[in-house]
Amino acid sequence: MAKTQSLHKESIGLKIIIYVVCVILAIASVLPFIIMFSNSMRSTFEIQQSSISFFTKDPIGNLAKNWKVFNGKSFDPATGFINSLIVSTGTTILAVYFSCLTAYALYAYEWKLRDAFFGLIVGIMMIPGTVTAIGFYQAAYKVGMTNKLSMLILPAIASPNMVFFMRQYLQASLSMEIVDSARIDGAGEFMTFNRIVFPLMKPAIATQCIFTFVGSWNNLFVPQILLTKKEKFTLPIEVSLLNSDIYQTEYGSIYLGLSLTVIPLIVIYILLSRYIVEGVALGGVKS
Amino acid sequence: MKKVIASLLTVAMIAAMAGCNKAPAQSSGATSSEAKPGESKPAETAAPAETTTAETTGKDTFGEGPVHINLWSFTTEVPDMVKQYISMNPDFGKKYTFDVTIVATTNGNYQPVLDQALKNGEVDMYAAESAFVKKYTQGKGAEFAAAYKDLGIDVDKAIKDAQIAQYTVDIGTRPSDNAVVALGYQATGGAMIYRASIAKEVFGGDDVATVEKAVGAGSGSYDTFWKAAEKLAEKGYPIVSGDGDIWHMVENASSSAWVVDGKLNIAPERQAFFDMSKTLYEKGWSNKTADWTPAWYADMKGASQEGKDNKPAFCFFGPAWLINYVMVGNAGGEKIGEGTFGDWRVCKSPVGFFWGGTWVLASKAGADNADKKAGLAEIINWITLDASDKGLQYMWANGTFPGKSKDSVASEKVMNSADGKLDFLNGQNMFDAFIPANKNADGKCLTEYDESINSLFREQVKQYATGQKSIDDAVKQFKADVSDKLHIDS
Amino acid sequence: MRNKKLVSYGKFGYIFSIPFILAFLVFSLYPIVYTLVIGFTNLEGLNPKDVHILWDNPFKNFAWVLKSKLFKKSFTNTVVIWIMNFIPQMGLALLLTAWFTDRRSKVKGQGLFKILFYMPNIITAATVAILFGQIFGFPSGPVNATLIKLGLSKEGFDFQLKPMRIKAVVAFIQFWQWYGYTMVMLISGVIGINPEIFEAADLDGANRVQTFFLITLPCIRTIMLYVLVTSLIGGLNMFDIPSLYAMNHGDNGGYTLNCFIKDQAFGPDNFYDTAAAASVLMFLVIVALSLVLFFIMRDKDEAKLKKLKKQQLKMARSRKAY
Repeated sequence: MAKTQSLHKESIGLKIIIYVVCVILAIASVLPFIIMFSNSMRSTFEIQQSSISFFTKDPIGNLAKNWKVFNGKSFDPATGFINSLIVSTGTTILAVYFSCLTAYALYAYEWKLRDAFFGLIVGIMMIPGTVTAIGFYQAAYKVGMTNKLSMLILPAIASPNMVFFMRQYLQASLSMEIVDSARIDGAGEFMTFNRIVFPLMKPAIATQCIFTFVGSWNNLFVPQILLTKKEKFTLPIEVSLLNSDIYQTEYGSIYLGLSLTVIPLIVIYILLSRYIVEGVALGGVKS
Repeated sequence: MKKVIASLLTVAMIAAMAGCNKAPAQSSGATSSEAKPGESKPAETAAPAETTTAETTGKDTFGEGPVHINLWSFTTEVPDMVKQYISMNPDFGKKYTFDVTIVATTNGNYQPVLDQALKNGEVDMYAAESAFVKKYTQGKGAEFAAAYKDLGIDVDKAIKDAQIAQYTVDIGTRPSDNAVVALGYQATGGAMIYRASIAKEVFGGDDVATVEKAVGAGSGSYDTFWKAAEKLAEKGYPIVSGDGDIWHMVENASSSAWVVDGKLNIAPERQAFFDMSKTLYEKGWSNKTADWTPAWYADMKGASQEGKDNKPAFCFFGPAWLINYVMVGNAGGEKIGEGTFGDWRVCKSPVGFFWGGTWVLASKAGADNADKKAGLAEIINWITLDASDKGLQYMWANGTFPGKSKDSVASEKVMNSADGKLDFLNGQNMFDAFIPANKNADGKCLTEYDESINSLFREQVKQYATGQKSIDDAVKQFKADVSDKLHIDS
Repeated sequence: MRNKKLVSYGKFGYIFSIPFILAFLVFSLYPIVYTLVIGFTNLEGLNPKDVHILWDNPFKNFAWVLKSKLFKKSFTNTVVIWIMNFIPQMGLALLLTAWFTDRRSKVKGQGLFKILFYMPNIITAATVAILFGQIFGFPSGPVNATLIKLGLSKEGFDFQLKPMRIKAVVAFIQFWQWYGYTMVMLISGVIGINPEIFEAADLDGANRVQTFFLITLPCIRTIMLYVLVTSLIGGLNMFDIPSLYAMNHGDNGGYTLNCFIKDQAFGPDNFYDTAAAASVLMFLVIVALSLVLFFIMRDKDEAKLKKLKKQQLKMARSRKAY
């Protein structure tokens, strides 16, 4: 009895610590978003005077003014939003599907060049992106593929990072027995992957979807050098254009732009995070 | 997982559908802004232009003529001018179509992409900022530029007639053939912008003459200025907000450039900045702020920094754009008497300087094309040289260009005829100070390396001024940084 | 298990890898080869003429980079910042993982916490840099105002002045942005563990600390390795925050390898050749470090892990049979 009581006490103490830490971290995580949203309702000059404050004289008026500045530029925020959506969605779908497929090829089959291929993938992962982007741009330029959204989407088919992750994941959680039993049932290899393996990778896919979508949505470096026509601009490019006029930086509309940029991410993140939070049980996979 | 894929596919489909609907959505947007012109652009007085302006909103091209001109810029400023010109001169829009490409200078992306396009002859007209304009007028990119006179502009006469600020001409002149290849529209000669109430308290008068005498305006030296700083300090006022405020003056008034004959060169005026900065720091003659930070803006408002009770700075140094785009909004009021609004005056600075600016160039490829040449000449002439009341600069100076407030311009003739009175300056005509300021500015020490070298230099000055290292170590580190980052040895 | 894979299935390994390989050849290989070749040429400047491979002294660019003090400094900076951010990041992520996956003391609202902790990763680096620049602002900003009010400092700290301070701020920002991601990764690894293993541990009377260290940790080794390797690669490639917050401050204290490459390639004179050489060198460093991590950790652990899993499964099964 005494033992269980002390255990009980200990767990209450631990729980208090857990909640205190978690609440502090939660505040630190959310605060920047609140600052961002509240600054989008403040005037540029209010922000310049004190960027981290919730004070504003006229939130609705400022919001309207900031929107006018953002919308009054010669580019169109709605177009930017749609372009971003096309690029990020396309990138995510291609990256996730083909990474799973490649990872499955690496995990489930014995083939001669397998280890060499895996080594290659690990190698590609390590290549710094900064300078290869210039080579990429010049190649795209030579074949007249600048200002094409597909140039931002198609490279996602080869996402070495994700292949690496998916392979590690398969290694930890996929039993070949399941594949074998599907084979015995007469399913083709491609079918087995699509119908059995791919759905089983749900938790890994859900997390990778979020990471890819966020990364692609926020990507500025490559789109900025590849897309030079206004009708092809993505949302982050438009926001960065607001920032490039050093004589007249419109902080209010920059924060509004940043807020608008982040809202779809929050929506999609929350939509997908269900799969992480619920913790899809993998019972039956390995036994 | 099916749900995930399904929802992603739905999103993609919605996106695709929205993409198809894009065109009608845009035109309806244009109609609505057309309906309420006054509301969408309150600063605008040239209302007749609105209808055509609205039609071109959201499009990548301006005009609908058969001759296509490729325009490259890093902001929407120059494209907006073209748009404005076409709306004022519909005939021009029937002859030419401007295909606009905008790449932000963020992360230095504009130049590599522009360079690539210049090499391929795909640029006809382009804009360059003071930070890198020399690369395209006198440096490695100068070969791509067409001389204004080759466009058919009688440039020497036009410059004289419009009384264009000499420093902008110097910067835009290509040394190899002594031809003008770039000119600006905005002039960015800098003046001293001071607080009248503090001047009255410390110097016994707030008029321009008294203050100019107290700070040694136009003397070309800082001796009197330091005496004024001492006087201000006795009453607890720092003379400037941070050392950055003085830097632009020091930088431009240098006797030689950062790079001379391919070697790093520290002009004595710039070397002296080490100790100027240390003095400001140690004697409390500044509020130790950095430009573009909240503490800097607080001095414009005349407020103390968070958690402290320091007194606000006496003056700022800058061109007209600093007043209109930065200080007016940060004064903490909108009418004379509110905050520091109306408490500011402009006078000559101790040493002449300029800060920023945009130049407009035409490419050789564009000038060589007979169809494009006349169009390029017409639009560039309107932006940079037209001193009439129909010219861009007249609108720019009077604050009648849509979305822009009054600014000083390259043409002195325009400024003489324009109204530069500002409530912010309690009704003072700012051009009284900026016309001489533009004359005092000197663009000869500008190089395309300035932006990079300045930031390396000022970082080491800061290390020295705050007592982190000795002046010798700071200079040594500065030279090493320049050599490593820019391959320029000393 | 492995012997069940028939050789005849091997060709599917090739077939399923085709899309990846094609995309890789088209979109990645060219830029990579391009970069490598540039490292051996004299490609410099805006409109380079007479670009050729430096046959007389092919390693000229590499020698120049290796001799540069700034390159060495940027390398040490990068490693130091990465370590300063990775150790606390991994520590906190592991702690949170332990708390959130503990089967006995179910933390209420953990779903919400998980969602919130990943949020910092959603914001663009540009926003993060602006916000933190303001939060740590000098001479006035929330952090300094608080320090002054509490009497801990008279004038406030200039966080961008000293090399170590600026490193600490950059590392803190990276930590803040990435601990949630790492936690999500680790948790997804834990979810993948067969629950029977935990049940077996429960029946054995293992307490939660024992369960975490003896079962959870070994089982998520592969995911931890993934996190470690990607974080190392990401850390050595660190660019956004250093370039936006630290590049020209703190006496080069926050100057990373990618800042060096970027300065070379996109400075006024476009030294693509030295930039390419620097990226190749950086690539070699990353390969070396990753391979070390990879081979030391992987082989042993995988074998151990498999053995452990098998044993536990056997135990679980035999217990069920009772």
